[in-house]
Amino acid sequence: MTDDRSPEVDPRLLEVLVCPVTRGPLEYDRERAELVSRGAKLAYPIRDGVPIMLPEEARALEG
Amino acid sequence: MNAPPRLFDRRLHRLRLQRAAGLGSAADFLRRRAAEDAAFRLSGILRDFPFAVELGARDDLFLQALRGTPAEGRIGRLVRAGLSEKSLSGRDRGGSGPRVVADEERLPFAPQSLNLIVSLLSLHWTNDVVGALIQARQALKPDGLFLGALLGGATLHELRTALTEAELELHGGAGPRVSPFADAHDGASLLQRAGFALPVSDIDRLTVRYPHPLALLNDLRAMGETNVLAERNPRPLTRRVLGRALEIYQARYGLDDGRVPATFEIVTLTGWAPDASQPQPLKPGSAKMRLADALGVVEHRLP
Repeated sequence: MTDDRSPEVDPRLLEVLVCPVTRGPLEYDRERAELVSRGAKLAYPIRDGVPIMLPEEARALEG
Repeated sequence: MNAPPRLFDRRLHRLRLQRAAGLGSAADFLRRRAAEDAAFRLSGILRDFPFAVELGARDDLFLQALRGTPAEGRIGRLVRAGLSEKSLSGRDRGGSGPRVVADEERLPFAPQSLNLIVSLLSLHWTNDVVGALIQARQALKPDGLFLGALLGGATLHELRTALTEAELELHGGAGPRVSPFADAHDGASLLQRAGFALPVSDIDRLTVRYPHPLALLNDLRAMGETNVLAERNPRPLTRRVLGRALEIYQARYGLDDGRVPATFEIVTLTGWAPDASQPQPLKPGSAKMRLADALGVVEHRLP
């Protein structure tokens, strides 16, 4: 347990996930561990390798 | 168009699930039964499911139930999707494997991306069951399978009656304290309205015997199944009403050995995302042979 990075998300899971608000595509921001929906202007967090696909838990994006 | 009535507070339901995640697992007999039943049904379906999702997942009961069955080898990847990351990732019961926090009312899966969706005793908390089923159908590939278990209308009817009567007696009025459940006989039509082909629904009714009605309430809390009705009765459930309800429960339903029964009704739905390869009904009037001839009887014209 020397690896302090968050566990990776299952890549096949990432392929089928879409934004629950817009049903549009998501961009995976590995650095911030977020799934970004440009359409909804929301960034869904990934905690311990588990994407949290709830708009109320997402970070609102500027602009 | 008016929005459908909002029955349940999903945010509160999420909190209840998070709370239940820490309450141990003695009360999961219902979900275990549904999980074992689903694994058994899948074992009878000779088909590969490369990508499966368990919707409304909380723990690893379904994974456990699959282990060692013929269905285990036919399911490629099983993603568990649930409302509470706490129960999905619980140290003792959540385990590992791909997981995602998702709401059945707003599914985050691309259209036609999944081969199988299993949902065990969670859809009864959705505000719009048909809407949730439609989203599931859209996420399935053509000829993908939906297998869902939900609680039917007779569930907890003893508790519902006892609470209503106690409140009527003491306050002269009563409000909802137990969820409305889907009428068990509506199962197949729910699937049909959601656009599934070959819909099938069946009912499993079980009676659990509790030493005391309070033991039932404790179980419901541990299951994360306590009331999240959006229109919850504004009058809090007082000790007096609850005490009277427990008395009524015991007096009316008590068994000879002092125990009390609680009814649970599990409705299992199976339906397939439509595909051209499936058997299709013929057009009315397209028959090439008379039924009367096939049966060897004389045809009578109805008045």
